[in-house]
Amino acid sequence: MSSDTGFLYPFLEAEERDADRLLADLAESARAKAAESAALRRRTLAECAGLIETAAAELARRFAAGGRMYVFGNGGSATDAATLAALFARPPAAEGVRPLPAWSLAADEAVVTALGNDVGFDLIFSRQLIARAREGDIAVALSTSGNSADLTTALAEARRRGLYTIGFAGYDGGAFAAEGTVDACFVVRSQSVHRIQESQALLGHRLWAAVQRHLAAHGGGPR
Amino acid sequence: MTTNTAVPERDEVLLDETGARDLAAAALTLARRFAAGATLWCVAPSWEPHAHHVAVEFVHPVIVGKRALPAVALTGPDLVDQARLAVRPGDVIVAIAAADDPQVRSIMRRAPAWGATTLWIGNGPRPPAGAADHVLWVDEPDPLTPATGRFVLRYHLLWELTHVCFEHPGLLTPDTGGDCAGEVCVTCSDEGRLAEVIGPAGDLGGTLVRTATGEEQVDTTLVGPVAPGDLLLVHAGAAITRLDDEEATR
Repeated sequence: MSSDTGFLYPFLEAEERDADRLLADLAESARAKAAESAALRRRTLAECAGLIETAAAELARRFAAGGRMYVFGNGGSATDAATLAALFARPPAAEGVRPLPAWSLAADEAVVTALGNDVGFDLIFSRQLIARAREGDIAVALSTSGNSADLTTALAEARRRGLYTIGFAGYDGGAFAAEGTVDACFVVRSQSVHRIQESQALLGHRLWAAVQRHLAAHGGGPR
Repeated sequence: MTTNTAVPERDEVLLDETGARDLAAAALTLARRFAAGATLWCVAPSWEPHAHHVAVEFVHPVIVGKRALPAVALTGPDLVDQARLAVRPGDVIVAIAAADDPQVRSIMRRAPAWGATTLWIGNGPRPPAGAADHVLWVDEPDPLTPATGRFVLRYHLLWELTHVCFEHPGLLTPDTGGDCAGEVCVTCSDEGRLAEVIGPAGDLGGTLVRTATGEEQVDTTLVGPVAPGDLLLVHAGAAITRLDDEEATR
């Protein structure tokens, strides 16, 4: 870029030296994205409030009857699945809070790589459900697209086996919303993977809190 | 316990002005370190999935065309030992943990001796001033905050802003801004440089220590007997002070 027009495009200059302007722009951008996330979180909660209650009542009923929960996703959603499983299984100690049996199905590298290598990546979760899950259990899939084959395959398998199925998706819900294998489908209506995940985490937290409230209200029951 | 499932009347303030400025400064530092060859090491002892989530953001970007950057989660037992082994001078450590997490506190104290820059994301009571180079704090006391998406937002934004910085190559050269905030910077003040004891220096005599610039042999006569892992301030080839836990975390 020539020096006489460079002042028009200061950020394109490799010679740019003043970081203050960049820092101000970064901070403003961060604030705008956080506000966008907050608006989406509130909108999502408003849309999903009824479904959270419905799903929580069913989860509480199943946990009280000895049901167990399996949570799974890919990539960042696999880590969010693990966080959700940890929230259910090892919540910070507080009065009236019950740890509930929940696992992330991406946690065991031996099982995941054995299944991925021997029978195919699309079956890494469904084959674990075939081995572990029973009627009365719960399957929870986290995705932003709602279309990942390993997740849709696992949800279909879970449904066949009598599990209660929950799907978290973004965009328009994808196959989670369309295929009819998801009992409770939480859709975060956004086009941004990051913003979708931030709202899904909040939905997961609210779902957990509602399950705890239902269990506290109706007593424990056999485990 | 939080059991309210009602929809809030207005949007949460997920990031205030101070938090946004902290995040911007952290992103520029991180971009500069990456540009100079750093690896980002991620630890989250109580909520390990966050360490994996940060790593996968940088290694496998969700936006096609953004460059893959070296980020690795450290998980499991003995995180201080793992970090000591993994970190090379110029690297960055990001911790997602409460201010009282003993392993993270230890890593943060030692990082200057390893030549590492530190970022600390958490909630609840803040770490003491100077505990990390960049503190990205969520001022929310609820212990369930790590499971509400608020940490996820912080590191998503950290990733997004870091990649914006890569569009400004002129600002990524080293030493266009330092990390020496506050009144004392142990890595460059006159008081001395932070060193971590490795062990006896063998035939050389004295003690082998690790500092931000590598390994060196120092005289520890002034501070008395030392053990591996001890933190010292060294100046002109001699250890002049020993840092104990209380002193380092006050």
